Formats: sequence, C-alpha cells, structure tokens
Amino acid sequence: MNYFLALLVPVLFLLSFLFALRKKVKLFDCFTDGVKGAIPLIVSIFPYIATVAMLTKLFEVSGMEAALSKWLSPLFSFTGIPDEITPLLLVKPLSGSGAISVLSDILSRYGVDSYAARCACVAYGSSETIFYIGAVYFAGIKRKKLSLALAIAVFSYLASVILCCFLCRFM
Amino acid sequence: MLLIGILRFLAAYIYPMNALFAIVFIISNAILLFLDPESFLPALLDGAQKAATLCLSLVATYSVWLGLMEVWKRSGVTRVVSRFLKPIAKRLFKTEDPETLDCVCMNLSVNLLGVSGAATPYGIRSAQLLDRSEEGEYASCMLFVLNATSIQLIPTSIIGIRVALGSAMPADIIAPTLITTVFSTVLGVILTRLLIPPKSAKRKRRALSFSRKRLKARGAGVR
Repeated sequence: MNYFLALLVPVLFLLSFLFALRKKVKLFDCFTDGVKGAIPLIVSIFPYIATVAMLTKLFEVSGMEAALSKWLSPLFSFTGIPDEITPLLLVKPLSGSGAISVLSDILSRYGVDSYAARCACVAYGSSETIFYIGAVYFAGIKRKKLSLALAIAVFSYLASVILCCFLCRFM
Repeated sequence: MLLIGILRFLAAYIYPMNALFAIVFIISNAILLFLDPESFLPALLDGAQKAATLCLSLVATYSVWLGLMEVWKRSGVTRVVSRFLKPIAKRLFKTEDPETLDCVCMNLSVNLLGVSGAATPYGIRSAQLLDRSEEGEYASCMLFVLNATSIQLIPTSIIGIRVALGSAMPADIIAPTLITTVFSTVLGVILTRLLIPPKSAKRKRRALSFSRKRLKARGAGVR
C-alpha cells in the first residue's frame, strides 16, 4: 500500500512531462518559470507565518494552550480528536499560511510520525481557509443564504476532522 | 459599559483573524506580565526564528511543485481537467451559460490540482458571474461550499514539510487526506442541496405535492 503511494509522485511527474512533451512545451524554460514564482510566494506569506508563529509561541508559554486543551478535552475525547491539534483546528479556517506554522510546530513537538502529527497533517490537507475564501470571493456579493452556506462549510469541516482522526488510527 | 465597549471592539473586526489575534495576544501578554515577564520577548523571537526556518524549507517545497504546476498550466492539463468537469458543473450550478461554466470549471480544476493561488482569480470571477445567473442564491452558496470544503487531490505542501522534518513515510497521509476531502465535499454538497434548494427543484417538489394532493382528493371522491 505504502509502496504504491510512494510511486504516485514520480509517476505523476513522468506522465505530466510526457504529456507536456507531446504538446511541444519547452520543459526547462517552463519549469524554471514556475520555480521563479516560489520566492515571491514565500515573501507574500512570510508575514502571516511569522506573526502566527509568534502568537502560537505566546499562546503556549503563557499556559493558555494547556488551559484551553484541558477545557475542550472532554468534547474532544468524546469525538476522538487528539487535543494536541486544538490550535491548528482554530487557526486553519482563518489563515492558511498561519496554519502552516502551527502545523510545523505540532510536527516538531510531538514527532513527525506520531498519531497527533498525522491527524494534524490530514486535517490541514483536507480543509480550506473557510473564512478567508468567504471574505475574498464574496466581498461584493450580498446573498442572504451565504451565512447558511458558511455554517454548512464549518459543519462539514468539523465532521471531516472527526473522520480524519478516526482514519489516522489505522491508516 | 465595559461589555458594550468590548462588543464594539469586536464588531470593528469583520475578518475574525484580527479578533482572534488581538484576544489571544493581549490575554497571553497579560498572563505573562504577572507570571513570567522575562519569557515574553524570547517567546516572540523564538516564534519568528521558527517561522524563518520553516519558510526556507517551504521555498524548496514550492520550487518543486510550482515548477510542475507551470508545466500543467502550459501544457493544458488544467484545461483538459476542466473539460471533464463541465457536465458535473452544469448539474451542480444549474446554469447553461458557457462563459460562467468555463470560469467555474477552471476554478474547480485548478483547485483539484492544487495550483496555488491560481484558483482565487477564477473564484472571484465565478462568484460574480454566478451571482447574475438565474439560480444566483443557490449557485453562489454551492460555489462557496465547494471552495471552502477543499477538493485538492494531492496535499503537496504537507508532503514537503514532512520530508523536511525527516518523516519515515511522508506520503502515508495521502490516502486518509483524499478520503477526508471527498467526504467533506460530498457532505457539503448534499447539505447545500437540502438546505438551500435551487428554485427548479422547489418548483418540481411543489408540482409533485400538488399532484399528490389531487390524487388524494380524487381518492377521497371515489370513497
């Protein structure tokens, strides 16, 4: 199973490059053009990553994180969510790049291959920045039921987190 | 009085990240002021330090995937995927307008392939176009739910971070992520269909209940 998953990425690259060759795309020029975008992208998300990283460190040092986890833990143990990933669940719907710094904090604190870390990775990868999308896409649009749609999105997010923690137990 | 002040302060923030930041920062700050004022600045610096290291490893990750994504864009993979999505989009958004469909399909296919940042311009344009369509209310909500429940197929940046932190099996989260993503999207779509039904479905349902009533009335008459 894991061997096949490891095959996925190289096969993806091979197929994409062969397809691109058939379409007569200049591969080297094109690839470097894409890589060029990496630095501006990082520059544009660095402020968010750095700010949220400082905030999570404060959150941890001040003991608020322990207090919040303790407060939420009955709810979380009922649904099977490990309380180590609480900060990630709070930040992800708001800010994607902020959530990256919370995620890497969880990974280095509890070990990359630990149960909590894997839950965090799946929860991060299977969700979107709900509030950010709402703010950006629908800035000028006034539809009454968009708030209901927001509730639906948040509900699906929470349900999917419960499912992901369940799946991480044996996958 | 204080309560009203706090409420006003919160209402000033529309995007909740501002409120979250202010609340968490100020409370943590106050706690540290009393308990351990010396650890305040080291905590901030340590956070920023971690962010800097993380960004360096992210440059590596994004270099790899942005290169591949540019190849996808240039060779038309995104366009091929979006052509496959057209029949689904027609049913999901209840629109026949070709310009709207093109835009929506590009938004969905770019989201599926995870071409970072490219989904936003298509998303904004789709939102405007769908708002004008006949099923505006329903279609706008559907677009929002589809975008907000994440439909990315391969979680590229996470695999990169896991590799950078020395994971033994960086790709083992692909399968659960895929299942979870599909689950949340399907759940979102079903809930949207049930709670924010399109007008045509409402009309159909009304017609159905009307004919049922007539049937009942006729049945009563026979009896």
